[in-house]
Amino acid sequence: MLRLHFGCSILSAFFAERVGTNASAPERRGLKNLVRFLQACADGLLTGALYAVIGMGLALIFGVMRIVNFAHGAFLMVGMYATYVLFDYFKINPYIGFIPAGIALFIFGYLVYMALIRPIRDRSHFMQILMTMGIGLILTDAAQLIFKADYRQTNIDLINRSVHLGPFGANAAEVLSFAIALAFVIGLRAFVVRSRTGQALRAISQNAEIAPLMGINLVRIQGISFALGTALAGIAGGLLLPRLYLFPGVGEDYTTKAFVMVVLGGMGSIEGAAFGGLVLGLSESLTSLYLGNQWALIIDFVLFLLVLSFKPAGIFGRQRA
Amino acid sequence: MSLFKSWKFWVGLIVVLLWTRMPWFIHNNYQLQVLFRITLFAALGLSWNLVGGYAGQLSLGHVAFFGVGAYGLAIFTELGVPVWIAAFLAAIVSTAVAALIGAISFRLRGPYFALATIAFAEVLRLAATNLNVTGGAIGLTMPGLFIGRTFWRSFYLAAVALAVISFLTNYWASRSRFGYYLMAIREDEDTAAAVGINTARCKLYALLISAFLTALAGALYGSAFQFIVPDSILTIDISIQIAIITMLGGAGTLLGPIVGAVLLLTASEAFKNVFQESHLLIYGILIVVVVLFMPEGIVGGLQHRFRKRIKPPKDVKPQPVLDGAAQ
Amino acid sequence: MRFKAIAALGILSLVSIVPAFGQATTKIGVITSLTGSLAAFGEAHKNGYAIALDEINAKGGVLGKKIELDFYDDQSKPDQAVQGVSKLIDQDQVPVLLGSYSSESTKAIVPAVSQRETPLIIPTATADNVMDSKSPWIFRVCAGANDYAKETIAFLKANGAPKKMSIVYENTNFGQSNMKAMSAAAKQAGIELVAVESYEAKSPDYKAVLQRVKQANPDVIYFCSYLLDATTLMRQSREVDLNPKYYTSSGTGFAAAEFPTEKGAGKNAEYTFSVSQWLPEAKWAGSKEFDAEYFKRFKSHPAYHAIQAYAALHVAAQAINNAKSLDPAKIRDAIKNINMSSTPFGPIKFDNGQNQHPVLITQIQKGQYRVVFPADAAEAKPIIPAPVWSKR
Repeated sequence: MLRLHFGCSILSAFFAERVGTNASAPERRGLKNLVRFLQACADGLLTGALYAVIGMGLALIFGVMRIVNFAHGAFLMVGMYATYVLFDYFKINPYIGFIPAGIALFIFGYLVYMALIRPIRDRSHFMQILMTMGIGLILTDAAQLIFKADYRQTNIDLINRSVHLGPFGANAAEVLSFAIALAFVIGLRAFVVRSRTGQALRAISQNAEIAPLMGINLVRIQGISFALGTALAGIAGGLLLPRLYLFPGVGEDYTTKAFVMVVLGGMGSIEGAAFGGLVLGLSESLTSLYLGNQWALIIDFVLFLLVLSFKPAGIFGRQRA
Repeated sequence: MSLFKSWKFWVGLIVVLLWTRMPWFIHNNYQLQVLFRITLFAALGLSWNLVGGYAGQLSLGHVAFFGVGAYGLAIFTELGVPVWIAAFLAAIVSTAVAALIGAISFRLRGPYFALATIAFAEVLRLAATNLNVTGGAIGLTMPGLFIGRTFWRSFYLAAVALAVISFLTNYWASRSRFGYYLMAIREDEDTAAAVGINTARCKLYALLISAFLTALAGALYGSAFQFIVPDSILTIDISIQIAIITMLGGAGTLLGPIVGAVLLLTASEAFKNVFQESHLLIYGILIVVVVLFMPEGIVGGLQHRFRKRIKPPKDVKPQPVLDGAAQ
Repeated sequence: MRFKAIAALGILSLVSIVPAFGQATTKIGVITSLTGSLAAFGEAHKNGYAIALDEINAKGGVLGKKIELDFYDDQSKPDQAVQGVSKLIDQDQVPVLLGSYSSESTKAIVPAVSQRETPLIIPTATADNVMDSKSPWIFRVCAGANDYAKETIAFLKANGAPKKMSIVYENTNFGQSNMKAMSAAAKQAGIELVAVESYEAKSPDYKAVLQRVKQANPDVIYFCSYLLDATTLMRQSREVDLNPKYYTSSGTGFAAAEFPTEKGAGKNAEYTFSVSQWLPEAKWAGSKEFDAEYFKRFKSHPAYHAIQAYAALHVAAQAINNAKSLDPAKIRDAIKNINMSSTPFGPIKFDNGQNQHPVLITQIQKGQYRVVFPADAAEAKPIIPAPVWSKR
């Protein structure tokens, strides 16, 4: 705490001295531009961390099962609604409410897997994609029927507070969700590397045909990874809730973004997807600053296509696409 | 030609003739519009079938060609080109776009290919939303390929013509060497390449043909409804709709896309009228049910059933595979 | 077995595409966005229509029969809206049509409705190109984007005449058409446009956009946003410390009932100006009652989209009663000559198809909307400039 304060004051002093009346005009402008650049980077990383959680969820599903899961955004939306209901009826802060929402999504994802995905796991990729599309449609329209199409918002105190570090500022709620998202990235990595289930997951991701010969219960592990993937989507939804708003179609854009992240990072790589999320957040923020926000999404896709063209295995990928 | 001896040909001809006469059987424009939509999507499904069905490449970005066709028609007409030439020019531009998309995307397999196609289509949609030449989000008024009191009937007949052309393309593909190469690529691309098939070129040709036909469909559609915005003519929903129709109907079959279009679009419109807000929910349930119970699509599933009932000819005795094999 | 069930469902559904016979009620056609990206507004429409429907039927309906609304969902897409015109007019043969919600869907249906010689009453579409065709069958209840821009410019000129303006607009038809309208009006008034920034709606982070605006140092910002982006924009304007002298807007998000409350931007909304077509506190008879009824039924306060739908249906019913007939041409003439001097949406009278609806400028002062312009309707003085964030 003290060190942070100390660091704060050093930074402030540094910048104050530079931007003070002693500095010449171009120097001041240059510094202002630098501050702006760094601030945009910081904002991009804060948003990118949330994207990372969404991307990791999809990386689990995609990496382990090679399913193009078009319902991923819909699960995010379900998680958001779950967190919203907890907030609206039980007054539970979304930054706590995301936990029960995540657990609910885990169970829900497992059930969906067992009932709808497992029976068709031997069928062609086409059919699996179709199935997830159908599920996505059902979830979205059901949400509209239950909650109506109205936009909803949560207003918690934290969203109106800022923290400052020298000339840089950040929204307190965003910092909190960054911290939580980071915790998940680290936690998930540890889970995948250290735990038996995690190792089973990686084994299946590398070679789904040989893995059962090693004694891995394919169906159960796949079910868990699907459930975990949807739980992560739901958690990301809960974390997004205070800074965005809620309506039945909110997940649609995030499905495509999640795929971009997974490909950027490299299939089968969860850290890669997380990295992809940060890259996306950063690129969107910087594009918005220098070119204008309307180009931000296009740049996402252009980046995506560039990576696909020159390094199809993704930045961290080990396998051929 | 043995073609004329085939009963299937005559049945097909009669069906096409009946299909063409439909406007005279129905009485109002609404039903004609629904039929137009069904026929056009049958054409779209058949075009997609070349890439997604025969070649087995799951393209989820076909709306890119659809949209280029529509916007191309509007922009070229704006530049003074006569309206029908503009439509074909737009289709040619769309083919060029397909060449670019193919060059990058066909290096990828399976789901990656699908994602790349999605990305391309989204880039086009976002570009159309932001650029002035495409009218931005405000949209563009489309020139009329057909005008006059019975223009819906003319559009409908044009859609039938496009569907027939797409069908014939499929038919030719299913019988020709090119078509066999595509199917070989679908079954096992590496082996096909090892056998000497130029997989990249085959896939590209399939995509080019598909893109041309899809673009014409886009020009027709945009012109019929007279006004386009990026969110209606370049939306991923259309790509998904085309893929769903073909996959549920039976990808890689001749009749699959047609059956899929007829059933799914009729269902979709009927659901909208009967269920109002919950129509998407019912539609989603329909998709889930068909995927669960009809894995090869409707036509595929039916073919499977019929094939099982085919008995071997009577005069063939079972022979032992190897001399001296026991039993 | 499965096939039979599916076939039965299919046949039952197909029946819906075939026209129905005989009705004990009069049907009025409505196209709106019940699903899709604009579903929230389609719902506002539906609610407004519902209140009007009950009021009209309580008074006996039209021409002695109750009315029924025949809805078609355009799924927020213009081509579907065109199909809806066909279904409602060609098949269901409604005498008058209301809708749609969005400007692009409305623009798309204008030629289709004119060709079918049926009157169309437009509740909400504000883009000006909607009325370009000058067709005698088209009537619009709401004011247009040009009116928004003109009124805002008039207000600015009379209150400090700022020199530099920035426009921040969402990348949709609503945003782009309002940006175009304001760009034209500002150029005409000699105001310099700096930083015209478009943004992708529903994003979590607009700080970079606002930084760009800050760099350009405008005197006044004109926002074209819906409610939830409006909330995010104001909050993040505070975070980047953006301090123009005036925050103005083209209504919608910045004029929503929730905007100054805790459910919206709360304190961050203070001092923002907005154009307004209607407020619950408006001085028109029935305004407050509409708000109360809406709140009772739907547990939220209505945005002006709902009352525009409500007004449109009342216009339709009144016109049919005045025409004493269901003949579309007679209804069109009745609408043309209608003179509703007092509705909760103000007086309604059409001039070349456009209702001369007044546009007001409001400012949020102490958490309440106060009308500050034009002078004859003003109830408070505008507070200019907006105090900088650090001093609030």
